[in-house]
Formats: sequence, structure tokens, C-alpha cells
Amino acid sequence: MTHAAWIRMAGAVLAALLAGGVVNAAGAPSAQRLDDSLSHTVPPNVQLQWRPLPPSAGAALSMEGWVRVNVRIDTAPVAGRPGRVYMVLPPEQRGLELVWTSQGRLQAGRLTPGERALVYSGVLGAGLLEDQITVRLRASPDWDSPTRRLNVHFEWQPD
Amino acid sequence: MPLTTHPRRTPPATATKAPRRAFVALCFLLLAGEAAAWSLSIGAATRRVYLHVGNGTAEGNNGTINLVSVTVPAAALIAGGAQAMTTNSTQSNSLSGDNFATCPTPASQILIGASYRRSNAGNGPASATLTVTSPANLTNAAGDTIPFSEISWTVSAPGSPVPGVIPAGTFNGGTQTLATVPANTFIENCHTFTYANSAIRAAGTYNGRVTYTLTSP
Repeated sequence: MTHAAWIRMAGAVLAALLAGGVVNAAGAPSAQRLDDSLSHTVPPNVQLQWRPLPPSAGAALSMEGWVRVNVRIDTAPVAGRPGRVYMVLPPEQRGLELVWTSQGRLQAGRLTPGERALVYSGVLGAGLLEDQITVRLRASPDWDSPTRRLNVHFEWQPD
Repeated sequence: MPLTTHPRRTPPATATKAPRRAFVALCFLLLAGEAAAWSLSIGAATRRVYLHVGNGTAEGNNGTINLVSVTVPAAALIAGGAQAMTTNSTQSNSLSGDNFATCPTPASQILIGASYRRSNAGNGPASATLTVTSPANLTNAAGDTIPFSEISWTVSAPGSPVPGVIPAGTFNGGTQTLATVPANTFIENCHTFTYANSAIRAAGTYNGRVTYTLTSP
């Protein structure tokens, strides 16, 4: 492969990464997604219930449920580096609100679609970042079907 | 001849390797973006209608049947004139969740509240229907009758922008549609009943029962 071809290929990959937010426009690494495939929820699925609906209130977030999440984040890729860990609710998870408390290792917080919330700040070790969080999940009654999938992930941002 | 005769066709070795290293590093970052996340299946709350007439229980069943009554004085029997009716209801506060004192004088009011909930457009019709059914007559032990159309009601809801959300009316001895309840709304107001006293009736205690129904097919 010629030098020019390498340059073009690297440029294309860089453009794709910029579009995906993996690196920022200045070329510095931006948020890096962390693997928490060892996390699991209790129960594995949750049935929402109706919240009271006063006449003056809208129907937004009028369904509610609770779930515990045993969080286990693999921090090996960022071990020893100062940074922050965020919990992220992607924008396509519309009409949802998450409010959680923790056992203390992670910070409590609140998330709505398209947002991220700081759950940890500091230098991480090479093992697992673990905690159990209790999540109050609220949803607006504007679903496309009777069930849906909630996907939440964690990302790391260097200081 | 110096070795730099063909610099564009034969770049230094360091120049050819640099982009390759960059490509390898960027590929690693791209793969790192595929890390797993916690995931949960969530089920929507099930479709539901809720109705209370007079004394009720929030989010639950209540078998109370309230009584609306009037004792017509002898003088009023002769003179005529509408007679305000009283109730044995004690339901003053809203059961919608805000506990608002929607019916401040329940001794003369019946609080009616209705809601319809659905989680998505495919989960039932866009609204529910509130109806009331009355028999043709009130009757006494002797079999005398008073048309149910002698009883009418006014409505109120202090502080509400829509105090007439369930409208005033007169019983017609059949089934009447009172209101449409849009999905994911709660409607309520207070009903105050009046006996028209438009004719002299045989003495006695006349009874009749009306039934309110909220339906969503």
C-alpha cells in the first residue's frame, strides 16, 4: 500500500472515530466506553406500575418500577490513569428517567435520555469497579409495544 | 548521485510506518467502543380504568354505595319548588393522588373521579367513556312511582380550570353518556343533586339506584 493510501485510510478511520465520539476534534481521546458485561440486574426484568395521575399533571413518567443492579465495571483498560466514570442513557431511550442510590462506591444520581451522570472520579485500579445500585425507573406511556429494552452503559473520560 | 533523487516515490522508512501505527491504534479504539452494558427488559403497566363515585379508595376497590336523599316538607309538596338533596358521602378529597379538597361540602356533593391509562397507542382505544344508567322511576313500597327525570345535578370543582369536565344534567331513565376520558388523564368534579318536586306524590319513601360505568372496549 502506498504512503498516500495509508494516509487516506487513516484519515477515513479518524473521521469515523470523530463521528463516533471516540476521539475529539483536537485528536485527544474523549470518552471511552467501559465493559460492564459482568453487571446484572435483580430481577432480570421489571414490570412497571401506574403512578397516581392528578388532574393537573401530565402523563409524562407516569409508570414506575424498581430494580437493583449489581454493577461490575472492568477498569483494566484505564487502570492507573486519573479520570471520571459516567453512566450513560442513550438518547434513543426516550421517555425514561433513572434515579438511583448506591452503596457508596459509585455516586447516586439521575439520568434522562441523552445524558450521562458522573458516578466515579479518581484513579482506578486494574480490577473491577463494583457497587450495587437501586434504580427507580420511570417511563412515559408513549411506547411502541408493551415491552422494551433498557440499555445503559458506562464510559470513562480522562482528566 | 544522492539518494534523494526520487523522494516522492521512495519516502523514508519512518514516513511509511507512521500511518500504519496510527491505523492500528485507531482500530483498537474503535473496538473498545463495543464494550457491553447492563440491560434490562421492562414491561409497561397494564391498561386500566378507574372510577369512583362518592366514597372510594385510591388504586383499589370500594363497595360503598352512597345515598342521595331529600325529605320534602308538607308545605313544599303543596307549593312546589325544587328541593336540594343531601348525601351520606364523606369523600371530600381527590383520589387522583394530589389529595386536593375537590368537594369541600361532601354532605351535599358526590365526588366522581375517572381515569383511563394505557402504555401505547396499540394498547387500546384513545379514550374511555363514562356513562350513567338510571331506571325509569323511583318507587315506594306501595308501588307508586316518581320519574327519575325529576332528579338533576349541577357540577363544580373549586380551583379547576375545567369544573364542568363531567357536565351537569338530568337523569333520563336510561343510559346517558357523561364524558369521554382521554388516555392517561384523570377527570373529576362534584355533583350536587336536586329533586324537581314538580308534582304532588303519594306519601312514602321512594328509592332508585343509578349506576355509573367507565368503559374502554
